[in-house]
Amino acid sequence: MQRTLPLAICFIMGIFMMVQFFVPHPISTNAYDIVLKWILIISIFALVLGVGSLTMHHTTKIRRKVSGWQFSIITIIALVVTAVIGLFGGIGRGSWLQVIFRNIFVPVNSTMFSILAFYMASAAYRAFRARTKEATILLIAAFIVMLGMVPIGSAISKRLPELAEWILTVPNTAAKRGIIFGIALGSIATSLKIILGIERGWLGGGRS
Amino acid sequence: MKFFQALGKIDRKIIFIILSVVIIIPLLKPFGLISRASSRAEAIFNAVDAIPVGKPLMISIDFDPGSMPELYPMLTAILRHAFAKDVKVVLLGLWITGMGLGEQALETVSHEYNKVYGKDYVFLGWKSGVLPVVLGMGEDIRKAYPADYYGTPLESLPMMANIKNYRDVPFFISLSAGTPGYESWIAYAQSRYGLKIGAGVTAVSAADAYPYLQTGQLTGMLGGMKGASEYEFLVKEKGYSQQSSPASQAMDSQSLAHLLILILIVLGNVGYFFTRKTISKGAK
Repeated sequence: MQRTLPLAICFIMGIFMMVQFFVPHPISTNAYDIVLKWILIISIFALVLGVGSLTMHHTTKIRRKVSGWQFSIITIIALVVTAVIGLFGGIGRGSWLQVIFRNIFVPVNSTMFSILAFYMASAAYRAFRARTKEATILLIAAFIVMLGMVPIGSAISKRLPELAEWILTVPNTAAKRGIIFGIALGSIATSLKIILGIERGWLGGGRS
Repeated sequence: MKFFQALGKIDRKIIFIILSVVIIIPLLKPFGLISRASSRAEAIFNAVDAIPVGKPLMISIDFDPGSMPELYPMLTAILRHAFAKDVKVVLLGLWITGMGLGEQALETVSHEYNKVYGKDYVFLGWKSGVLPVVLGMGEDIRKAYPADYYGTPLESLPMMANIKNYRDVPFFISLSAGTPGYESWIAYAQSRYGLKIGAGVTAVSAADAYPYLQTGQLTGMLGGMKGASEYEFLVKEKGYSQQSSPASQAMDSQSLAHLLILILIVLGNVGYFFTRKTISKGAK
């Protein structure tokens, strides 16, 4: 029963949502509306679960004094402080939450991302070697696109942006489209396996 | 031989210092390299331009401060364009960490054009869950967002009286730094409700958007900081705004940084080419 009921719900809802997409009748659209409300409610529960999981994870780390447990204290304090300020002080213009966001979160988050530029420059210099024919082609394509996509490229040669554009619209698009088709077919196959109860990994471990 | 070996082993600290200098100098003293608008940027500009006065442009902030240098200038340039054309703006987002940026952009740009909240623009904010929000708004925006970001019921906002669902939105732009982003809007809002979509994406993910451009699922695309500078160029050229253009100013730095990385790759390969025989002999 523990497994049969979720499998039955998954099968019925999966088939219903597939059929509903093609039926514009009011009964069908009303049922779709109800399902949307349910999904909204469930996703809010997921948020609660997320906060719970984060809190448990970090309190366990603090209790067990796992390496780097001091950072867990900062995480818990940040969670509580921002939640309390947001809940009781509002989130609009001039609120404390906005002050925290603009003066702490924005600089910290931007700094983390900015550092990437330095690592990328260093990694590109170290790893990007024309060792094989394929690597050489990749290197030439990267050169053209990197120069063609910035203004200095057109200052060097008017043809560079055109060539970069061709690489992006022809070989790149062809490869990307192939990948997208592969992912789409894989998603359909996996969805069908879940709906039909063939794939049961989502139920978790335990008794069968 | 030592010289070539050294070429392949430049200390990373030296690389970091040179890159810092190359980025900072053009920011302090710009060279004024101009980004002409691409056809993709023009397509978005024209779609916003074609929105009838009084109809809304919907913008989704699907990014966080990490992608701010690339996507925030797009947001401010698009807002300036919309407000100058008296197009209403509905702002929302799928990334909770982007909501403060939306608030900041509206605060800055609305004052420049004397726009009034609730009459000229509305900020819906963020809601938990992607699927129910994107699909729900296709049926009725009020079902997904009964109230705006500040808790005001949508019923009491005059601008929202004539906006029920996607059918009342002539054009939509997702400023996207990953997932959820423009692909979520294409998969659910466009395929099911026919929403006309444009995207602003980070440079690193721009290549992923090309298939959607070719199929027409994306009306246009702004790619990275260059895309933002192209939109700023169009907004200035048409006389909609004379405000500073942060993306255009930063393009000089980006150009030089790209050039430096390419030079470093060349140096690394020259070093590798002249020392590879020695390396392979040593290995044997």
